[in-house]
Amino acid sequence: MELRINQKAYQVDADADTPLLWVIRDDLGLTGTKYGCGLAQCGACSVLVDGNVVRSCVTPVAGVVGREITTIEAIEEDEVGKRVVATWVEQQVAQCGYCQSGQVMAATALLKHTRAPSKAQIDAAMVNLCRCGTYNAIHAAVDALAKQEGA
Amino acid sequence: MNNRRFARTAGWLALPCLVAAGLLAWYVTREPATPFAQAPATATFEPALVSRGEYVARLSDCVACHSLPGKAPFAGGLEMATPLGAIHATNITPDKTTGIGSYSLADFDRAVRHGVAPGGRRLYPAMPYPSYVKLSDDDVKALYAFFMQGVQPANQANIPSDIPWPLNMRWPIALWNGVFAPTATYAAKPNQDALWNRGAYIVQGPGHCGSCHTPRGLAFNEKALDESGAPFLAGALLDGWYAPSLRQDPNTGLGRWDEAQIVQFLKTGRNAHAVVYGSMTEAFNNSTQFMQDDDLAAIARYLKSLPGDPQRDGTPWQYQAAATNPDAPGAHTYATRCASCHGLDGKGQPDWMPPLAGATSALAKESASAINITLNGSQRVVAAGVPDAYRMPAFREQLTDQQIAEVLSYVRGTWGNNGGAVDVKAVGKLRGHTDPASSSPIILHMR
Amino acid sequence: MNILDELLDAPVNLSRRRFLASTAVGALVIGFGLPLGSGRVQAATTAERGTQVPAFLEIRPDGTVRLLSPFMEGGQGTHTAMAQIVGEELDADPATFIVEAAPPGEAYVVMENGMRITGGSMSVRMSYPTMRRLGALARAMLLQAGAKQLGVPVGELTTQPGRVVHAASGRSLGYGELASSALNMPVPDPASITLRDPSQFRWIGKPVKRLDAYDKSTGKALYSIDLKVDNMLHAAVQHAPRLGMTVGSLRNQAQVEGMKGVHSVHVLPGAVAVVAERWWHAKRAVEAVQVDWQEAAADSTLRVMPADFSSDKHFEFLAAQQGPARDDENEGDVAAALKGAKTQVEATYHNQYLNHGQLEPPSALARFNPDGTLDIWLPNQAPDMFRADVAKRTGLDPAQINLHSPLLGGFFGRHFLYDSANPYPQAIALAKAVGRPVKLIWSREEEFLRDVLRPVAVVKFRAALDDKGLPVAIEAVSATEGPTEALAGKQGDKIDPTALEGLSGKSYAIPNKRIAQIYVKGAPMLGYWRSVGNSLNDFFYESFLDELADKGKQDPYELRLHLLRDNPRLTTLLQAAVELSGGWKRGPFTAEDGSRRARGVAMASPFGSHTAAIAEVSIENGKVRVHDIWQAIDPGSIVNPAIVEAQVNGAVALGLSQTLLEEAVYVDGKPRARNYDLYPILAPAQMARVHVRVVESGEKMGGIGEPPLPAVAPAVANAVAQLTGQRVRSLPLSRHTFS
Repeated sequence: MELRINQKAYQVDADADTPLLWVIRDDLGLTGTKYGCGLAQCGACSVLVDGNVVRSCVTPVAGVVGREITTIEAIEEDEVGKRVVATWVEQQVAQCGYCQSGQVMAATALLKHTRAPSKAQIDAAMVNLCRCGTYNAIHAAVDALAKQEGA
Repeated sequence: MNNRRFARTAGWLALPCLVAAGLLAWYVTREPATPFAQAPATATFEPALVSRGEYVARLSDCVACHSLPGKAPFAGGLEMATPLGAIHATNITPDKTTGIGSYSLADFDRAVRHGVAPGGRRLYPAMPYPSYVKLSDDDVKALYAFFMQGVQPANQANIPSDIPWPLNMRWPIALWNGVFAPTATYAAKPNQDALWNRGAYIVQGPGHCGSCHTPRGLAFNEKALDESGAPFLAGALLDGWYAPSLRQDPNTGLGRWDEAQIVQFLKTGRNAHAVVYGSMTEAFNNSTQFMQDDDLAAIARYLKSLPGDPQRDGTPWQYQAAATNPDAPGAHTYATRCASCHGLDGKGQPDWMPPLAGATSALAKESASAINITLNGSQRVVAAGVPDAYRMPAFREQLTDQQIAEVLSYVRGTWGNNGGAVDVKAVGKLRGHTDPASSSPIILHMR
Repeated sequence: MNILDELLDAPVNLSRRRFLASTAVGALVIGFGLPLGSGRVQAATTAERGTQVPAFLEIRPDGTVRLLSPFMEGGQGTHTAMAQIVGEELDADPATFIVEAAPPGEAYVVMENGMRITGGSMSVRMSYPTMRRLGALARAMLLQAGAKQLGVPVGELTTQPGRVVHAASGRSLGYGELASSALNMPVPDPASITLRDPSQFRWIGKPVKRLDAYDKSTGKALYSIDLKVDNMLHAAVQHAPRLGMTVGSLRNQAQVEGMKGVHSVHVLPGAVAVVAERWWHAKRAVEAVQVDWQEAAADSTLRVMPADFSSDKHFEFLAAQQGPARDDENEGDVAAALKGAKTQVEATYHNQYLNHGQLEPPSALARFNPDGTLDIWLPNQAPDMFRADVAKRTGLDPAQINLHSPLLGGFFGRHFLYDSANPYPQAIALAKAVGRPVKLIWSREEEFLRDVLRPVAVVKFRAALDDKGLPVAIEAVSATEGPTEALAGKQGDKIDPTALEGLSGKSYAIPNKRIAQIYVKGAPMLGYWRSVGNSLNDFFYESFLDELADKGKQDPYELRLHLLRDNPRLTTLLQAAVELSGGWKRGPFTAEDGSRRARGVAMASPFGSHTAAIAEVSIENGKVRVHDIWQAIDPGSIVNPAIVEAQVNGAVALGLSQTLLEEAVYVDGKPRARNYDLYPILAPAQMARVHVRVVESGEKMGGIGEPPLPAVAPAVANAVAQLTGQRVRSLPLSRHTFS
């Protein structure tokens, strides 16, 4: 099957029910997208599919054929994603960093849909788990992005 | 697991309190007639017969109750909790002292088809003999051959029931049998073709589908045992799961499924409409996936012939795009906990993650299945020896009763679903007497 | 191994990107000029520790400094801190550093306690002077080289960040230009080195940006689980449902071998493995293996998990233990004080088992090389111990083992050497069996099955109050097994300090006290968990102290001040926390949003630091909601205030997680949770606002990563008690109902 990932076409030989996550990681070698739970619990595997944030560990690859997939590797090619990364660095969000690919994807998706999200909208969208407890930094970073946009 | 046969047994356990004494002792201890009364004892059986018997055992799903994971096949032990005490499935291996090794074919037949053990002791109708009575003589013979020769004897004593005297007296069951248990094997309907008749035979007989899917009367009798009764397979609540209608009801039954989809569901555990879950996972893992394709086709043919009931089922469901209101109670929980798999649009990712839009669990008045799977997650579906790629997580440790009631009310009231709101108390009740599903595959072996 | 080998052997996706970037290998060797030759490192092992500059530092021509850190980076910011410390004395901006974990070896054993581990919140505080000196030694060598190259006396030279400067002539040379000659020079006598006056620090003590922030925000950071080498196969395992059980037979081996992508099926001790071309294939196939598991043999060397073990029953068992107990602290005469006291108070507390739940599932990549050496990449907090263990298991000489320590996707104590809880023995066995490199990843479910647990304790307190209601005696007898005891499998000659820390070591002036342990070996394998003994014991002690305050009609804040009246350091700290929170306001009170709230206070002194925390809570739908945590921490002095604040946030999050919801429940010898669904960890919506004040008392430097955790649970529990009148004596709070 053919997948469109980060604006490139890839031929992939995978069973229809293979999670997109493992196609991305093992077949394509894009390891920025992380495996955390395999059960849609943590969000470390978040990618964008047609601009919406999706947990790739529970996304059978057959379902995303013909759709535009964006992984963390290409996030800075997106205007919003680039700003998110810059703010993530500026606000020093990451600790161990393992969940942060997913957090950046979730923030990018939120800001692409809602340019200046309210605090409640941020809380509603930023639900990925972080064992290091960077939640306040994440919220502050998204809030800063929202304020940039709102100003 | 402990509760799963509760409803099936509770009726008879209550019965001793209800019946008057004075009925004739011979009636309650007499041995039912069997065509094998004069059959000579057989020392060895043809492998083909044993193998045929093994298939009948698959059709009948004997293993689900009579085996425990990791233990000797058919050595018994599954606990069935009842309000009066626990009973346990028995050892049906050919062990001479603790199993059924000393049963003659006639003894075996009386037990399987009539619920009477040697000596006239009545079995609790947790053993579905009111369905097994329809087994053909040939299938009973084959089944006997399998249990005598295909199963390894296991010396494991049966666990006595906890039910105290006098409620543990078995003779009143004979009276119940007299009223509710048929005595005849399946008779083919001459006005139907062979495929239909084969399907009817499996569904009513060995498959004992009605045990779960047919509603029960006051004495916990199945309200109908074949297509002549409208309640047959019309859907029933049992042990914390709502076994949906298998009739042509578009909402709560199989009205929107075609025959191929029924076959696919029973063979692979999934189709575009649904994935097996709850008690059906056990039926699938242990029984339906092992059925031959022509038998599955027969079942599908037969089930498609059972008319629905528009009055009971309501207006046929049609998908309605949700007017997304992220502030609706349950909407946020749905978006963050459910949508990754089932989709913001409720359409799921068929055939792996089932749609919730149009799902029986979201259209049936009974909310038990929706609550139970949300609290406890799904058991692993093991198809052709391979566990599923995706499973439903358990949310009991993450969501409160209130949150579960809200998110399920949202699911049951969106995308055209009209199952109705979920009561927070119902969630609390199920939470109290259910356990989370194991995330490890559970495989029951027959040999 | 020379540098060329090292580069060629690196994982194909971990090839020192910045150094390699489109440069020919031949140029690299010249470009480096400063090989990290292990021969050189080993030749120098007689030197004083932490002085072998070439073992730690490479400076490339563009002035970039590569530092091999003795410590693992797992989010705590130690790599950045090391760059700050070394850079300060080297006179190089930390932003020009690339920091990686050093290989095993004597050269890197730099901690003042003679160890090299990343744990116990020890990295910075135990290596601070040594790592400063290392930077200063390197600077001296650059100055020497500069003097030679410029032909001037070294005394005329100074440095500015990244450059050697000859002020008199206006000439200067970048470190990169001098590196190859400088680092080949003999290391100066450490005694000849003068360190920078702290008042002149440019980077130490400043909120220097983390070096890994960009890579970690763009998916470029590589963890063990991400690595890949040529010709590599993937593996997954299915573990025995209970530790100690062994593989009997495989019922369907042929079927599994025939599954798509499967290379081979292997029986390992207590596990079955499938090796495949893709991890997903391996994982699905190994789940399909039907194993007849056998009960553990009587002589099993593992800690065998019994089939009837239940964590809830274990709490009852611990509570029923009467002794014998061993005293850890015994001052005054507790028995007499109790006897003569006006008021006696007794209470029994217990805590829960916990999983580590670090987000990166464990993995290991093993490769046997044609020359018989072994390369192994694996998450670890103690590379020398791991290498020694690999040597023991393989029979290889340690010199034949190249052990690599990638970034850790969280650790919290998970990556110490736990015999039954690490994937690398399996990865090594599989690589050997298949003759190709193998990367083994434990699925989240297998990780929950084999993770070592945070210990549990049942603590029985007795205390005496005088006629003013002030405590005069306290006794705590803990029925427990410490993690170090669990690793040893027995009680040692001395009490396991990790069992009682937090009950022991309290600073309150209570004249009669006894802290004792009843050693009770349990069933699950135990390990270290962030804040270790303090994570439970401060909850017990500080909650019980509030009970004493209540019983004696004392305000808990005032009581603590009273008990610390002769301890200015802790008095200052406690007052700082209260001041940070806007003044002591115990409540209950009505907040602006209309909710009823209360505050609780607690203190802890873990890992060489001291903390005071205040929590504000309310009850929402029967559950405890923590709104704010104010925490003051005195670690003596600090290196990076921004990272300290981040660590306080992280420790508070984990502290709240264990307080509110986490619990590893065992039933029938098996963990009920095999993933985050049944083992929820703190979610964003459950996080509190965190307010931090760092108090630098100037005392001996203490830890940062763990100390801010232990005071969280008792501060929350004390607030809940004040709000609801319900005294919580066990965790997590989700087991309790509040109204």
